[in-house]
Amino acid sequence: MAILEVTDLQTRFRTDDGIVKAVSGVSFALDRGQTLGVVGESGSGKSVTFLTIMGLLDPRHAQVTGSVRFDGQEILGAGNSLLRKVRGKRIGMIFQDPMTSLNPVKSIGWQLEEAVMLHNDVTRAEARRRSVEALQEVEIPRAEARIDDYPHQFSGGMRQRVMIAMALINKPEIIIADEPTTALDVTTQAQILRLMGQLQEEHDAAIVMITHDLGVVAELANDVLVMYGGRVVEEAKVDDLFAQPEMPYTWGLLGSLPRLEVITARLEQIPGQPPSLLHPPQGCAFNPRCAYAFDRCREELPELRQAMRGADHHFRCHLEDEDRARIWDAKKAAFTSAEEPAA
Amino acid sequence: MSELLVVEDLQKHFPVTRGIFFQKEVAQVKAVDGVSFTLEAGQTLGVVGESGCGKSTMARCIARLLEPTGGKITFDGRDITHLDRGDMRAIRRDMMMVFQDPYASLNARMRVGSIVGEPLEVHGIGNDSDRKRRVQELLEIVGLNPEHYNRFPHEFSGGQRQRIGIARALAINPKLIICDEPVSALDVSVQAQILNLLKDLQQDFDLTYIFIAHDLNVVRHVSDRVMVMYVGKPVEEGSKEEVYTEPKHPYTGALLSAVPIADPTLGRERRQIVLEGDVPSPLNPPAACRFHPRCPRFVDGKCNVDEPLLTPAEGANDHDFACHFPLERWPLDEDGFRRLPTATAASPE
Repeated sequence: MAILEVTDLQTRFRTDDGIVKAVSGVSFALDRGQTLGVVGESGSGKSVTFLTIMGLLDPRHAQVTGSVRFDGQEILGAGNSLLRKVRGKRIGMIFQDPMTSLNPVKSIGWQLEEAVMLHNDVTRAEARRRSVEALQEVEIPRAEARIDDYPHQFSGGMRQRVMIAMALINKPEIIIADEPTTALDVTTQAQILRLMGQLQEEHDAAIVMITHDLGVVAELANDVLVMYGGRVVEEAKVDDLFAQPEMPYTWGLLGSLPRLEVITARLEQIPGQPPSLLHPPQGCAFNPRCAYAFDRCREELPELRQAMRGADHHFRCHLEDEDRARIWDAKKAAFTSAEEPAA
Repeated sequence: MSELLVVEDLQKHFPVTRGIFFQKEVAQVKAVDGVSFTLEAGQTLGVVGESGCGKSTMARCIARLLEPTGGKITFDGRDITHLDRGDMRAIRRDMMMVFQDPYASLNARMRVGSIVGEPLEVHGIGNDSDRKRRVQELLEIVGLNPEHYNRFPHEFSGGQRQRIGIARALAINPKLIICDEPVSALDVSVQAQILNLLKDLQQDFDLTYIFIAHDLNVVRHVSDRVMVMYVGKPVEEGSKEEVYTEPKHPYTGALLSAVPIADPTLGRERRQIVLEGDVPSPLNPPAACRFHPRCPRFVDGKCNVDEPLLTPAEGANDHDFACHFPLERWPLDEDGFRRLPTATAASPE
C-alpha cells in the first residue's frame, strides 16, 4: 500500500492582484522504498505542492483543498498537534539552502539533539549519542569532536550532510528533499546522492526528490512527475520518461540539457517564460511556448491520459499519438546524429 | 590567429592578519598560485573546478578588479599587470564581465536603460540620444523588448536579468568577455536560451570568452579549450576534445565521472568514482600535489613529496596535465582508478 497518497490537491494564494493558482489538481501515490522525482522550472508549483502536503503554508493566505493520506490517515487540514508528530518524525525534510536552514547561533549538536528530544522521550545524553551516530552515518569525519561546532565552521557539502542527518535522525518513512544538491559541486553532489541511496536501502524509506536537474532524476528516481504551471503534465517510470517522453514540454526539457555523452552545436531551447499563475493562459498552460500548439490547445485544457507504451505513463497533450511519435523520433534522431564518434 | 590574452604564472595571495593596530601578517591564502594560459581571439576558454579552487579570483585578477600578487597578464599585446586606474580604464573598454547572480549584480534602483548605458557613459561615448538608440539596439540583440528601457530590474525574471547583464557587457564592443558562472542560477530551459545567445553573440561580434562554471556539461558545450583548477593551480589544460575524451589527471576523471547522466540506461552502466572529503583550505594546502589526500592513485613518498608540474600528454598536441600517475584509460572500467602495474613499477625514479 502506498505510504503517501495525494488526490486532487489544490493550493491557491490570495494576493492583492488576485488569486494565484499555485497547485491545480495534483494527484500521485508514493510507495515505501521508492524514489519519486519531481521536475519542473521555478514557478511550476513543485515546492508549493510539498509545502502544502506538509501543512507548512499559512492558512491565512493559502486555500487548500484535496486529500493527503499518509499511511492511511488524512493529514491535510489536520491539527498542529498531529502534524507535529508526523513532521520531523515520520516525514523528514531536506531543504535547498543549508546555509539558511540551520540556526547559526546554535551548535550542530544542539540542533540535532533538539530534533531527537522533540519526538522521543530520551535524556540529553542519549540524544547526544544518537546525534553523533547520525553524523557518523552521513560520513562527517571526527563526529564526536565536530558535534559542538557551529554551522559556519562547516563547508557547504558538510552542512548539507548535517541537514540530511537531521532529516534522518528519527528514521522517517518519507524523506522530502527540495533541491538538496543544487547549491553543491558535482563531486559533493555525487557524495550526497550516493549517501541518500544507501540510507534509503537501510531504512526502506520513500524519497521525494524535487529538482530541476534531469540528470539527478535519471540517477536516483524510480518514478517521475513533470510539473508545469501548477499541474502534473507527465508522469512515468523513469526509463519510460527518458525513452519515450510524450509531452512537448518534456521534450523541451530534455533538449535544453547540455550533455557529456551527446554533443550538439546548439541546444534546443524552450522559448519564452514560464506562465504566470495569476493569469494562466487559456487551454494548455504550455501552449504559448509550444511549437506544435494548434487551436484546440488554446481553448481546452488537455486531460491527463494514458500513453500507448508504459503501464503508469500519463501525460497531457492534444496532439495525436502518431504525430507525437513522429516528432519524438525525429528529435531523438537529431540527438544521436550530432554525437561525436569518441567519448 | 592572434593571441588576445596571455597569462603567465598569475598569483593572488591574500594576507591573513592579526591585531588591530599593527596588522601583523600571520599567513597567506594562496587563492591563485601559478596559473598560465594563452587565449586566442575568437576562442572560448572554459575554467572548471570545485568552489574555492580560485577560478573566480583568477577572473577578477585578469580584469584587474583584484591586484595580482605576481605574474604577468598581457592583453592584446600590452602588459596590463601593473597599469594604473586611468590606463586600465581604457583597457576595460575591451574587457567586460558577466556575473553569476543576476539578482545581485544589477543595481535595483537603476532603470534598465541606465544600467545598460552606463559603460557608454563612463567611456564618454555618444550623446544622450545616441546612447538611448544604442541601448535599445542592445536590448534587441539580447532578445529583450527595447520598449522595456524604463523598467527596473525587479520587473524581469532571472533569465531576462542575465540578458540585461550581457547587454551591458556588450555595450562598448569589447573583445573579451569574462563570464563568471553566468548560468548556474538559472533553470535548464532558461540556461539553454542564455548559452545559445552567448554562442550567437560570439559569432556575430567576434568575441573571446573566458567561461567559468562548475557544470562540466555546460563547459563542454561552450568551450574550445578547458582548464581544470584545483586549489589555486591548473591540474589539466587542453583542447576540449582531448580533456573530455582522454582525461589524464585523476581529479578531472573524478569530476567527469561525478556528473549525473540524463539517461537512466547509460547512467546505470557507467563507473562512478566518488571522491571522499572536501576541497582542502588554500590557507594550508597539502604539500606537493595538492590533490594527494583525496587521490585514489596516491603513492606515498612520491605524490606528497615531489610536486608534479604541467607536462604535455604523449601523442597530443594541445593537452597538459600535472600528475605523476596519469590515467591510462578512459572511460573507467571495473578497475576504476587503479593504476596499471607498470605505472607503479616506474614510480621510484
